[in-house]
Amino acid sequence: MKPTILIPSAAFVVALAAFSSGCASHGVQNPSGVPVTEMKADERGFVAGTGVESQDLVVVTSKMARDILNVPEIQRAQGMPRIVLDPVMNETRFPINKDIFLTRIRTELNGKASGKVRFLARDRMQTLEKERDLKQSGQVTSSSDPNAVEFKGADFFLTGKLQGMTTRTSKGVSDYILYSFQLIDARTSDIIWEGSAEIKKQGLEDAAYR
Amino acid sequence: MNFPRSKWLLPLALIALSGCASTDSERSAFVPSSSLSGAPNRVPARDKVLWEYRAGLDALRRADFAAARENLDDATLTLGGIFGDKEGRKARSYFSGENKKTFIGEPYERVMAYYYRGILYWMDGEPDNARACFRTAQIQDSDTENKEYSSDYAILDYLDGLATAKLGGDGSDAFKRAQEECKFGKPAVIPPKSNVLVFMEWGESVKKYATGQYHEELRFSPGSSPVRGATVKVQSQNVQVLPYDDLYFQATTRGGRVMDHILANKAVFKSTTDTIGNAALVSGGVLAATQQGRHNSGDEVGLGLLAFGLVSKIVSATTTPTADIRSWENLPQFISFAGLVMSPGENILTVEFNDSYGRPITSLTKTLTINVPSSGDKVVFVSDHSPASQRL
Repeated sequence: MKPTILIPSAAFVVALAAFSSGCASHGVQNPSGVPVTEMKADERGFVAGTGVESQDLVVVTSKMARDILNVPEIQRAQGMPRIVLDPVMNETRFPINKDIFLTRIRTELNGKASGKVRFLARDRMQTLEKERDLKQSGQVTSSSDPNAVEFKGADFFLTGKLQGMTTRTSKGVSDYILYSFQLIDARTSDIIWEGSAEIKKQGLEDAAYR
Repeated sequence: MNFPRSKWLLPLALIALSGCASTDSERSAFVPSSSLSGAPNRVPARDKVLWEYRAGLDALRRADFAAARENLDDATLTLGGIFGDKEGRKARSYFSGENKKTFIGEPYERVMAYYYRGILYWMDGEPDNARACFRTAQIQDSDTENKEYSSDYAILDYLDGLATAKLGGDGSDAFKRAQEECKFGKPAVIPPKSNVLVFMEWGESVKKYATGQYHEELRFSPGSSPVRGATVKVQSQNVQVLPYDDLYFQATTRGGRVMDHILANKAVFKSTTDTIGNAALVSGGVLAATQQGRHNSGDEVGLGLLAFGLVSKIVSATTTPTADIRSWENLPQFISFAGLVMSPGENILTVEFNDSYGRPITSLTKTLTINVPSSGDKVVFVSDHSPASQRL
């Protein structure tokens, strides 16, 4: 084979390769997408930001539930203490569903310490009052005296606060969040227990977005 | 077979030289890729957030708050989780334009997405989540080159202070920052007891365009509008309102982007490979032509140079340094706010948009019938693009 034929053909192949590699070398990753992956709620997934995420929720609420059960006022209580949830205050930069923290603490406590504490469904008062009124008016049956006051009062309020600090520079963004929860004696306003957890996350966006 | 190479090599070289690479330096303007009436699933995935921004704002102006919430929630979800995005890597490659990345907008657009979502949270009686949005919005503007312009949206600090005061905290620091940041006079400290919060906006959006040899430089131009202020009239109150923030000012005071350096590098690469290609093609063509098909080493070197030049030209032609000029084009230029104390019940609230002489532009006057609740805040959103009358 003559070299004069080889040179243009080789050049053509190189040109073609360079052209095609230019389009594909930085190519698409996961072109077919990523199949749905079931993760544990306390696991850090491949989709993550610096905000409040499920693994934070699980870690924080599990810790708080354990701590609450060790509070002497709960352990040595005469009878069963009644707790009302008061909405968490969000002072971070992340809009969140605030109730989810207290809901998880409640379910943890109900699951692990059933009988030690009892929660009152104050968020359902409207429905409960309507039902009581129906019973009082005789429109529906009642298994007890409908005129007796049976809605229980709270012994303790469980509430919390989320506070954050953010730093953003050319090197990235850093978010620190302090999760603090309190158990407050409804009669004396004493804070009988306070627990906190802190989480810091940092990240840097792709240069294309900076 | 003996090819008469000298006859086809020169035309080939000329074709290649005639310019695969665009070199005009005219402005490249953004043409919206989709209208608001289109379904979001027909929009390319990389433009979805842009579509949601536009649709969300459009819905907010029409008082379709559920649709606004849905669009802005999804958009801010993408916006907040953009770390390590593979489309971003694609946009940085030599052979893809910047517009191949997932659109989340320039910082002034990201700020506005969180700002609008904050308004909706406040409407829903969640001032703390509203404040969270305003704080995140302010963070979007924090990494400016010149720190003087970092996180300097007056309205965001102002609303942060107001929400904090309403939640029983001390908002004075945020109010103070807002007063220092405002370029249009000092906004008065609104008492926390103000129960009607009027969010206003007017003017046309900042326009993006690209300049430079290969359209690699992103630039902004202001929108045009005769509106310079507003007057809110309700019951016996008559409140003159000036802008808190100018989005054109915000867009143009951030300094260079990291992506600008990447695009500049791409432009240099494109230019260099083009020049090298030209030189190789010319020298190769001349060399091959002058050898008259004698099959000697000069002939072969000439062909080699031509091939190399061709490859270099192809690489140059496929290098794409163009800046991303997709833009959230239904944004306003100016944003403002007024807080009023009103008695509960139904009220007629009028917002007049004024020209530079303070005269109302009657065609833009909005009349709103609002129902002020006995507790909590009534949040009202008014744009010069809103319908002339609304019941909220």
